[in-house]
Amino acid sequence: MTSAATIPDSAPRPWARVRQFLIRRGPLLVFALLLAYLAWQSPVFLGAWNIQASLTQAAPIAICAFGLVAVVMGGGDDVVAGGIDLSVPAGAALATAILSDQLTNAGASFGWAMLLAAGAALTVGVVNAILVTRIGLTSLLATLATLTSVVGITRVLTSNRRINVDDPVVLMVRDGQVLGIPNSVWLMLVAGAAFTFLMHQTAFGMRVQAVGGNREAATTSGIRPRPHIAMTFIIAGAAAAVASLALVARGSGSSPGVEDLLVVDMLLAGFLGAAFSPRNVVTIPGAMLGAIFVALLSNGLILIQVDNSWILGLKGVLILIVVSAAALQSRTR
Amino acid sequence: MSSANVGIGQRPSVGRLGRLLARFAFIGAFAILIAIFAFASPNFLTPGNLSNVVEGSVVLLLVALAMTLVVASGGIDLSVAVALDFGAWFSLAAMLNFDAPWPLAILAGLAGGAVVGSLNSFLIVRLGVTPFLATLGTLFIGRSVQQIGTGGGGNVNFRAAPDDFRWFAQGEVFGIPVDVLVGAVVLVIYFIILERSVYGVRIHAMGMQDAAARVAGLRTNRYRVAVYVAAGITAAVGGVLLSAGLRIFTPLAGFAYLLNAIAAVFIGASMHPRQRPNVPGTLVGVLFLGVLANGLDLIGLDFNLKAALQGIVLVIALASAAVVSRLSREA
Repeated sequence: MTSAATIPDSAPRPWARVRQFLIRRGPLLVFALLLAYLAWQSPVFLGAWNIQASLTQAAPIAICAFGLVAVVMGGGDDVVAGGIDLSVPAGAALATAILSDQLTNAGASFGWAMLLAAGAALTVGVVNAILVTRIGLTSLLATLATLTSVVGITRVLTSNRRINVDDPVVLMVRDGQVLGIPNSVWLMLVAGAAFTFLMHQTAFGMRVQAVGGNREAATTSGIRPRPHIAMTFIIAGAAAAVASLALVARGSGSSPGVEDLLVVDMLLAGFLGAAFSPRNVVTIPGAMLGAIFVALLSNGLILIQVDNSWILGLKGVLILIVVSAAALQSRTR
Repeated sequence: MSSANVGIGQRPSVGRLGRLLARFAFIGAFAILIAIFAFASPNFLTPGNLSNVVEGSVVLLLVALAMTLVVASGGIDLSVAVALDFGAWFSLAAMLNFDAPWPLAILAGLAGGAVVGSLNSFLIVRLGVTPFLATLGTLFIGRSVQQIGTGGGGNVNFRAAPDDFRWFAQGEVFGIPVDVLVGAVVLVIYFIILERSVYGVRIHAMGMQDAAARVAGLRTNRYRVAVYVAAGITAAVGGVLLSAGLRIFTPLAGFAYLLNAIAAVFIGASMHPRQRPNVPGTLVGVLFLGVLANGLDLIGLDFNLKAALQGIVLVIALASAAVVSRLSREA
């Protein structure tokens, strides 16, 4: 985190420069090669339909990962003692359930349903913030506990059943397009831009990163860590609220157990995103790239007709290749 | 969090009682939970039910001990789920498909765990991948291997497993179930190594300040390899016990233990003055989760409501214990 990026001593020989380029851009190159291979194997892979489907799939993963990244930034990237929020997908699933239940069963207007859903997701964020900053639990334990609670509450609320939604606003998010880009992808892009601005461009974002990078140093320079860390959990709650809209559109309603896969995909997207950043730290744009990578990979492997049993394992191997390239890059620097 | 408040700089003067209360606040919350269950269900505090809780917690204990070791070394291991599966699968398959005698079958199961641990250490130590992503990759690969190896995820049945093998789950020695004894032996070994030996001190040092441990001359890479391999083998012991009891291997069954193992380790860490993972704390965490699941079952709640209460009780117990322990530390 804290080590400043030092420029490697200049190597005049051309092969050294090539090697440096390969190492520095390693993860992105591997990423590009994989996609090229998939495109070569399946002519449909680069078709508009597949790209759209993959991006739509990536939207809720990416938006959840934005929340995760905010928390990791403020808490530091140590998995054990640092910041992590496992409860974002659970919060999003709860908000999705409330949204669907209100629209379909209670006949509420979209605005009111969304308000209730967002309120629930933000409440999860506030509870996390209290547990971590006021009560002093480690964020992994606190959010694991809220994850379990929120999943249970969602089950009680929906009786563990699917709820279909045919509200016009939701259908508009699902089917509508602006400039040829599906609306839920716009949702991801706009949320990504907003989060990038908040976490990477504002003074608040800088202070959060300072707290996450070195808490003592940040405190010494007059930044109060606790309000900033609390705020990141509430931001994660807001991300869950936004993600619920993408989720309800993707699934045309709320399905039980949607958070299971989403937790893994979110963590993957968030931490894989670090491989795409020059200093190997989590970033918002990196998380979006990570989510898109995961979705393209999943779809691509299905398109080239890989046997179902092999898909997860291949995904694991490919992800490890990208991450190893990143590790190699930060080691040789 | 609170380690930052307490550990650095000022060391608050704490009375002896305060320190005790701080340390054992969670156990107090645990006792209250037991009292509530005893009050709500007459069957809860019977010897038969309590031994059920203990015996039902053995596999989780083994997975959680593996996790304690890894977290103490500063990492995390999501692939313990796969190590558990491999232990269960390889031990059954060795007997079923290769007619191996049962001791060899157990070795095959443990070897399965060692393979998972070795892959993790290769990724983490050799390639420098962060433990989280490395073990997540291993988890993915391991799950795929199980699906491929079982023809898409079918169960592996071996009803006719030899009696000697089943003895590990169903036998008794001096009236104590063998699987509980196995769990107890592994628990003691872990306690001695992690809390009472120089190796434990070094592993904790690695976990707190890796760079400092290296500067002090510790060969952290060697320790890290040992930690992940040992964790894989320990989880595989749990898998062997599971197979001995069920005589059926269900692919991907180990995943159910993963979150609970992490929760147990961190419950244990929350009881430690410096929030470090520790073996006695993990034991308390495992028993707490076992009692919670068992008690909610006995009360006879709706399945969905039970899921919600499990999480909410955990949040309340952790939060109240943390508040009590901080208040008594400050008093």
